[in-house]
Amino acid sequence: MHMADALISPAVGGAMLVAATGMIGYSVSQLKDGLDEKKIPLMGVMGAFVFSAQMINFTIPVTGSSGHIGGGILLAALLGPYAGFLVITSVLIIQALFFGDGGLLALGCNIVNMGFFTCFVAYPLIFKPILKRGIHAKAITLGTMLAVVIGLQLGAFGVVTETLASGKTELPFMAFAALMQPIHLAIGLVEGMVVSTVLCFIYKFNPEILENALTGAKNGKISTKRVVVGLLLLALVAGGFLSWFASANPDGLEWAIMNVTGSPEIANQAGGSIASKTEISASGMVGGLLTLGIAGLAGLGITKLKRKKKCRN
Amino acid sequence: MSKLVFALNNMRTLEELTEKDTVIHRLHPMAKMMTTFAYLIVVISFGKYDLSGLIPFAIYPVLLMALSETPYKPLLSRVLIALPFSFFAALSNIFFERTVAFQFLGMQISYGMISFSSIIFKTILTVMAVLILVSTTPVPKVAHELIKIRVPKIFVIQMMLTYRYISVLIEETSNMITAYHMRSPKQKGIVMSHMGNFAGQLLLRSFGKADRIYYAMKCRGFDGEYRFASSSSLGASDLAYIFSLIGLFVGMRFVNIGAMMGSLLGF
Repeated sequence: MHMADALISPAVGGAMLVAATGMIGYSVSQLKDGLDEKKIPLMGVMGAFVFSAQMINFTIPVTGSSGHIGGGILLAALLGPYAGFLVITSVLIIQALFFGDGGLLALGCNIVNMGFFTCFVAYPLIFKPILKRGIHAKAITLGTMLAVVIGLQLGAFGVVTETLASGKTELPFMAFAALMQPIHLAIGLVEGMVVSTVLCFIYKFNPEILENALTGAKNGKISTKRVVVGLLLLALVAGGFLSWFASANPDGLEWAIMNVTGSPEIANQAGGSIASKTEISASGMVGGLLTLGIAGLAGLGITKLKRKKKCRN
Repeated sequence: MSKLVFALNNMRTLEELTEKDTVIHRLHPMAKMMTTFAYLIVVISFGKYDLSGLIPFAIYPVLLMALSETPYKPLLSRVLIALPFSFFAALSNIFFERTVAFQFLGMQISYGMISFSSIIFKTILTVMAVLILVSTTPVPKVAHELIKIRVPKIFVIQMMLTYRYISVLIEETSNMITAYHMRSPKQKGIVMSHMGNFAGQLLLRSFGKADRIYYAMKCRGFDGEYRFASSSSLGASDLAYIFSLIGLFVGMRFVNIGAMMGSLLGF
C-alpha cells in the first residue's frame, strides 16, 4: 500500500506533499486549543503502538494468507481525527526514513492515502455519525467495519490514480483498479474485524477513552474542513494535469501519427525517434555502466584508504 | 516475531551508525537534509526511458557510504524490503511495451525493459539516499532543524516521542507474542479470533506506559517543551558541500555522462 518514490513524478509527489503539509498545519491549529500536555506522550505511545501492531501478522481464515492493520481509523477513534492524523503521519515518516517503506517524496501520497481518507473522510462521515446515536458494541462494530473498508478503498484508489497520473508505469487504469480494489476489500474486511474487536475491548475496560475522543472531536468545524478538501482537490487536479501533459505527450503523438497514417509501424518508428531524444542507445547504457564501475572503484578505494589510516593509528 | 526483532535491530544499527566521526557525520544536519532532498527530486525527475542518464547518479550513495564508513549490508537489506511494490508495478512495463529500442550484443532490448530497469534503479537510489541521511545524522538533530525551519513543534515532538517509544513497544509486543506462542505451540501467527483481545491488551498496556512515562517526565520538569542543545549555524564547508553537490546533481541532470563515456569508447 505504501507508494514508492520511483513510481511517482515530481509534479504528483510535489502536489501531494503540499496538500499533506496543509493538512498537517490544519490539524496542528485545531489541536493547539484543545491539547493538554498529557496528550503528547500519549500520541507518541499510540504512534509506536500502531507501528508495532502493523508488524503482527494475523492469519486470515481459509485463504492461508496473512494481513496486518493500517491504523488510521483506530487512531482517529482513540485520539480524535486531528491527533490521529498527526500520529499516522509521523508513523509514515518514520517508516519512510528508517525502513524504506514508501519514499520521502511519495510521503505526501502516502499521508493522503492512509491518513486523510481515514481520519478526515471515513471517520467524520461514517464512524462518528454511527457512534453518535449511542456507543455500544454493535454500533462500534458496524461503524468501524464500514469506516475501515471505505477508508481503505479510497486509499487504494488513491494509489491507482497517483500511479497513473505520474505515468511511470504502463499499467492500464481498469486493470490496475480491478486488481487493487478487490484485494483491499479483503484486507479491509479483516482489518475492520480486528479494529472493531480492539475498540470493543477498549470500550469494555476503559470506556472513557472512546467517549473522550468522540466528544473532543466535536470542536472541528465543517466549514474549515471544506476548505481543506477544496485545497486538496485543487492540488490533485493541478498535479494530475501537469504530469499528464508531461508524460502523455509522446503517447498522444504516436496515437496521432497512427491515426493519420493508418500504420502502426510508422507510429513505432516515430516512438523510436521520440525516445532517441532521451538518448536510448547501447552507447548510453555501456557508458552509464562504466561510470557506475568507476564510482564503485572510487568507493572501494576510499574505504581501503580509510582502513589503512585506521590501522596506522 | 523475527520481523519485530529485525525492526528493532535495524533501528539500533542505524542509530549506532550516527555516532561515528567522519567528514560526512561532521557536516551540518541541514546541509545533508537539503542535498538529500535535491538528490531525490533530480532522480525522480528523469523520464521513464532515461536509464543511461540515471546510472551515474549511483556515484552519490557509493561515495557517501565510503566517506561516512557506512557498511553496505544493512542498507542493502532495507532496500530489498522496499523493492517488491515497485517491482510488481514496474513489471507491467515489460509486458505492455514490447517495441525494440536497440540491440545490444545480439539481445533485443525493448522499451519496457528499459523503463522497468529505470523504476527499479530509481527505487534503489532513493531508498539508499534516505537511509544514508538517517545513518549519518542523529534523529534529535534532524528534529531540531525541523523546528528551526518552523515545522510545528507539537508535530516534531510527537514524532520524536513515537520514534523513542517504538523500541519500548516492540519489546513489549515481542514479549507478548513469545508468551502467546508458549501457550499455543505449533501454531503459525495469531488466530484471528484472538487478535482483538491481543491487540487490545497491548493497547491498554501502551496507555499504562504512556501514563507512567508522562509522570516520570513531569517529575523531571517536563512542561510541554522539548529542549534541544543549541546547534551551530551552517559553516563555510557546509555551504560548499550544499552548492557543489546541488550543482553536480543539476549538471548531471542535463549532461548525460554515461552517453558521453559510451561514445568515447566507440559504442
